[in-house]
Amino acid sequence: MRATFSDTLVRIAAQDSRVLLLTGDHGYSLFDAFRRSFPQRYINAGVAEQNMVGMAAGLARAGFRPFVYGLSAFIPVRVLEQIKLDVAHDNLPVVFIGDGAGFVYSHLGTSHQATEDIACTRAVPQLAVFSPADRYELSMCMEQAYAMHKPVYVRLGKADRGDVHAGPVPAKAIGELFRIRGGTRGGLAMVATGSLVRTAVSLAEADFEDATVWSAPFLKPMNVDQVADICESSQAVVTLEEHSIYGGLGSLISEISTATRPTRILRVGVQDRFSLHCGSYEYLLREHELDFESIRRKISETILPSERYVQRAAN
Amino acid sequence: MKGDTASSSASFDPANLRRTVLEMAFAGSTVHIPCAFSIIEILSVLHRSFLTYPSNDPDANGRDYLVLSKGHGVMAQYACMRERGWLNDTDISGYFSDGSHLKGLSDSRVRGLEVTSGSLGHGFSVAVGLALAAQLNQSQQMVYAIVGDGELNEGPIWEGSLFAAHHKLGQFMVIVDENGYQAMGATRDILNLGSVQSKFESFGFQACTVDGHDMVAIESAIRRLWQQGDETPKALVAKTIKGKGVPFMENDNTWHYTRLDATTYGQAVEALGFGRR
Repeated sequence: MRATFSDTLVRIAAQDSRVLLLTGDHGYSLFDAFRRSFPQRYINAGVAEQNMVGMAAGLARAGFRPFVYGLSAFIPVRVLEQIKLDVAHDNLPVVFIGDGAGFVYSHLGTSHQATEDIACTRAVPQLAVFSPADRYELSMCMEQAYAMHKPVYVRLGKADRGDVHAGPVPAKAIGELFRIRGGTRGGLAMVATGSLVRTAVSLAEADFEDATVWSAPFLKPMNVDQVADICESSQAVVTLEEHSIYGGLGSLISEISTATRPTRILRVGVQDRFSLHCGSYEYLLREHELDFESIRRKISETILPSERYVQRAAN
Repeated sequence: MKGDTASSSASFDPANLRRTVLEMAFAGSTVHIPCAFSIIEILSVLHRSFLTYPSNDPDANGRDYLVLSKGHGVMAQYACMRERGWLNDTDISGYFSDGSHLKGLSDSRVRGLEVTSGSLGHGFSVAVGLALAAQLNQSQQMVYAIVGDGELNEGPIWEGSLFAAHHKLGQFMVIVDENGYQAMGATRDILNLGSVQSKFESFGFQACTVDGHDMVAIESAIRRLWQQGDETPKALVAKTIKGKGVPFMENDNTWHYTRLDATTYGQAVEALGFGRR
């Protein structure tokens, strides 16, 4: 995904000389190609994220197209007010890239882990929120973010979980979900975003063969009709995200379901707590019960006995 | 930097500007009068002699940028905008009425206000970005950021100062309204700033200090700073009096949050040299 990020950024910048890259002293080696191609358009703003976002607003006001890169703990969480006031309020075309979302920095502790960034950004008017699952969605999201000419937050999580798409994905209408795996109508729907889409596919293949798996690279805006249809046509919905169960994908799907097609929804995500320990990425997923086995157990215990098996028996 | 500075009828006379501020504050029953009064002469000089607005259009391409980072002083800029013809008498008399568009703090959706501010330390960074854009575009636009001394408590001011100096943003000028007060008291009692000029100099700015109510001094100081070359950002520290122009408001910080009534309004207008209303 990192190579795709770099390639896509260079491709966009090659088409438009107004594209600038601003980084808050992060992105080691990530921007080598960009710097080689466009040395004048690479701006390391220093370890000064608040000023960086304010400057991006000024640059956008004057006609530039800034991409602002940082770790998601800082961009957008640390600078939320600058995003709200300096950028989103005036609908300025600034793309924010928040890298390392979730538990990517598993050894570094809470300061570098972001599991509240979707909740923060979703509530900011005029700010779109994207969360790609693999390199193909990432490339598409970046192209769309650039083309929208609006403020967009692009959330980048664990980058090496493998592809969920077989190849490049078409430029979907913003808000549409991708069906990654077909299941049985009336079966389980798994709606996942970012790093946990891969997990959802594995779960479906291994244990929940009737499950349809959806990837949601666009969290805001989201296609309400499509989500309502998923709720309507599914026995139950499981949402999966490497983010708090408050304010993220699970909340979003629940909000839409409640207003359109009320259905049973299991929200798999980070419970309302910080990481206690450090360790490998896989270890932290286990600590937060977001690993394959924990999620499998949770779905089985929560949904299967009470609904799916009863439903099947009745049929 | 010069030319097209104002419509022919605009004089930006400080007493008239202050009277407009009082009209608005009384009509809207609003606060933040003294921090508008302290920047009246600064704004008057900028509008008269420095800010370029082709065709007197607040959105004109190539205009100089006036960034009111201390959004609390917005009534002073509204008064200037009235002189430019960007606001009319109804805007002034209808201040704060339901559905009106002029807010109590700077809002970029109002033509003539470049940024949304009031949460402090924002406009400064946006102004640095505008100055960087001017440098990248090799345009001659000048960028002025007006900040309060209380606002200098905010970290992004110093983040942006490092950036402006490092990147040689010579078209950037910060003007500090050093009136010595912030919301809850004297700046020296809350977070003592020491020498503001020295601080900006140590960050790599060309800086000078001036009486912020002496218009001749302000104008010549700004010219001198621009003549210092295009390799360094500039800082003008304006020593001002919070509430300047109305003696019973001057240096009385309770007026930061006090509203006018009919009596104090009449007294204030009279203090400016106008007949009692």
